[in-house]
Amino acid sequence: MLLIPVILVLLSLAYIGYFYSQNNDFFHRDVSLTGGTSVTIATQVSASELKAMLSSEFPDIDIRTLSDNSGKQTHLLITVPDEKAKIVSALEKALNLTLTEENSSIEFTSGNLGKDFYSQLLKAMLFAFLLMALVIFITFGESEKIKFFTAMLTLTAAKITFPTVSAIGIFAVLFSLGIFFYGLFKIKEKQGKLILLGILVLSGIIFFFPYYFLIWPITLAVIVLYTYYSAPSIAVITCAFADIVMTVAIVNLLGMSISSGGIVAFLMLIGYSVDTDVLLTTRVLRRKHESINHAAFGAFKTGITMSLTAIAAVLIALFMAYRFETVLNQIFTIIAIGLFFDIFNTWCTNVWIIKWFAETRKAEI
Amino acid sequence: MKITWRMWLVFAVVLACFLVIFVNQDGITFMQKGVLIKGVEDNSTIFNAGLRSGQILLSINGEPIQKMADYTKALSPYSLLKNETMKITLTTKTGEIISLVDSDIVNQISIAEISKTRIKTGLDIRGGARALVTAKDYKLSDSELDDLIAISQERLNIYGLSDLSIRKQSDSSGNRYMIVEIAGSSPKDLEELLGKQGKFEAKIGNDTVFQGGKEDITYVGRSGQDAGIYQCSQSSATQYVCMFRFSISINGNTADHYAQVTKDIPVNISNPGYLSKTIDFYLDDKLTDSLLISVDLKGSSSTQHSIQGSGVGATQQEAYEDAKMNMKKLQTVLITGSLPYKLEIVKIDRISPILGDVFTKTIISAGIVAFLGVSLIVFLRYRRIKISIIMLGIVLAEVLMILGFSALMNANLDLAGIAGIIAAIGTGVDDQLVIVDESRRGKDETMKQRIKNALFIIFAAFATAVASLFPLFYAGAGLLKGFAITSLVGITAGVFITRPAFADIVNQLEEH
Repeated sequence: MLLIPVILVLLSLAYIGYFYSQNNDFFHRDVSLTGGTSVTIATQVSASELKAMLSSEFPDIDIRTLSDNSGKQTHLLITVPDEKAKIVSALEKALNLTLTEENSSIEFTSGNLGKDFYSQLLKAMLFAFLLMALVIFITFGESEKIKFFTAMLTLTAAKITFPTVSAIGIFAVLFSLGIFFYGLFKIKEKQGKLILLGILVLSGIIFFFPYYFLIWPITLAVIVLYTYYSAPSIAVITCAFADIVMTVAIVNLLGMSISSGGIVAFLMLIGYSVDTDVLLTTRVLRRKHESINHAAFGAFKTGITMSLTAIAAVLIALFMAYRFETVLNQIFTIIAIGLFFDIFNTWCTNVWIIKWFAETRKAEI
Repeated sequence: MKITWRMWLVFAVVLACFLVIFVNQDGITFMQKGVLIKGVEDNSTIFNAGLRSGQILLSINGEPIQKMADYTKALSPYSLLKNETMKITLTTKTGEIISLVDSDIVNQISIAEISKTRIKTGLDIRGGARALVTAKDYKLSDSELDDLIAISQERLNIYGLSDLSIRKQSDSSGNRYMIVEIAGSSPKDLEELLGKQGKFEAKIGNDTVFQGGKEDITYVGRSGQDAGIYQCSQSSATQYVCMFRFSISINGNTADHYAQVTKDIPVNISNPGYLSKTIDFYLDDKLTDSLLISVDLKGSSSTQHSIQGSGVGATQQEAYEDAKMNMKKLQTVLITGSLPYKLEIVKIDRISPILGDVFTKTIISAGIVAFLGVSLIVFLRYRRIKISIIMLGIVLAEVLMILGFSALMNANLDLAGIAGIIAAIGTGVDDQLVIVDESRRGKDETMKQRIKNALFIIFAAFATAVASLFPLFYAGAGLLKGFAITSLVGITAGVFITRPAFADIVNQLEEH
């Protein structure tokens, strides 16, 4: 059972790795993350005609057709990685009209801002992951000592991710101190107190030198701790990770270009993915008299309804609003794909780990 | 069924949301008659007769005005007027305005339909322009950003934009941006207006005699005798030129400096009415115009000066408009002065309002169909109409709460916000499924215990959702904040208000 998901994750990772070697990026980014201009014009000129007119000047031009309910073309959506003025004047010349608010919409993002957006959103996503993992560990983990350690490490990661946001800095300092003193009070053995002090000193230093590369040792440390101390937590995290990896692979296969909204969709996906995992873990680990299988099957029945309602809602909305080519299309598509994989990952992979954990724990008792 | 205090709380909050969404100071929004006067040109006949922006127009010459089409129809006889005037009677909420007007009235008033709710949609739906501006190759400090906003506000006010918001935003890399949002139509030269440093210099030779801004310039003429287009002509077969002129006053010290500089300039021999050097106007270090200096200004410390310039176009009308625009630009920088750094527009979006209207309708109907789809699945799963209907009622209550919150906060509901609502609905339905299933599971635990289990799952899921959403407040210049806000409001209202009530309902339904 476990073999298929593992193979799929490895295949996805291999494909993303290959994609990275070809494109120097994990996925194609659209102009909102790379910089460039997109123009929507009300016109009857066909996409191929316009492309023929402009492709010599704009070799990277992308033109898509927007149509109304009956399938008649209403607008063209033109995307180029260039400055606004250049494409606007070229379009005005090619179509022999003046672009006004009545006939067109224009969006321009500068290259630097696009790059900034991209790196900030990726960093935000990694941090969201760390935070989510911490919440799961606090909920399901068993070692109280480790909860103190990882909470402080995650707060340090917050400072590294948002080094200039003073509200987060103050929050992180106050909470770190709070956790430290509460931890001193709670942890009984001396060694644990020393480690806690060590982490406090370390994060104190990092607060003054919040270089981003420091996020990696912190991430590694918490993952090792979660893996070692709580199998259910790492199962939840792995599942969310697998959902994202598989979805990225499919998005790449489909040739989609990810916009800033698309990255938000991945964040949403983490949230949805965790929902079913929390359900499964709670049902199996907190059951009283039921058998493990029975509890897992009960959770499956609820979980599959949850995923199906979400997929149905998203697909219907996608189908109806598709012709507007807005950022919602991408958000809905990514969520639908991700939820589909989530069914698979939760009920093939995760359920296996949780069952194994519940059984070995029972044996220990 | 016994109605618990948790259910009362849901009723109360839903009612409050209804009030927030549909009631303003004039009563119930979707019952209000008339159209809103969005703008009236300053000093126009109708303005002097008492019409002001913000008033509600009920009828024109007795014809009731309900929508844009009524308004256009009622004004159509006036647009045909040629150099004559006609009586008009406007009935507004505050009273009647009677005046004799000419055909210009059509352009002097702009109106908008009264919105049916107090929910404000974002620019990406309703149309308008948004720009992200920052300093070029320079990190702005917080107070510098405040200065930039003050100056930009002043510049845009000169253009008479009413539906305008400027705010500051910083991102997680420590960049600071000014975000300018203009609803509806915006000036064509918005980019130039926002992106210009606005450094104006008047030079004679290498001497700067005065600069833009309040330090040197005490008054800038903008209308009537003090400013205008005074001459248009055809300059070549395909080009027309129009000249503008406006007067300014400079302060005493600046005037003395002017006298000092001009004192020693000899008279031009070939054109003896003028001096041999010109006064050159530079805008952002680019020469925009050079004027001859009349002999009687030599060594004079007059504080009155005239600024001139021109506009060109393929037709006389175009040249006229161009000259008008250039004049306005020049007046603006003369009033507001220069910024101490160059600006960069890092993002500008202009969204056509036309697509927005169709889109809003589609999104609403997509929401309804998706809602029905979810209902169908829920019904198929439980085969019990009562519980399915209650579940969907709860979802509706949550959507209302999100909308109510955004109306209360005066927030703009943009595309990201809509995606957030959908995310919140998804989570809401999920959580209710957990409650129902948990309550129906095994009889070896008490109902109370089972509901407690369900709420534990929900709370753990809630905490992780909050964790994953919160970074969006800072990343990407906060442009995706709308998503985080609506989904957080939705799931928070869910966890603390609707879910407990729903658990009470399920508790009672399942126990019988």
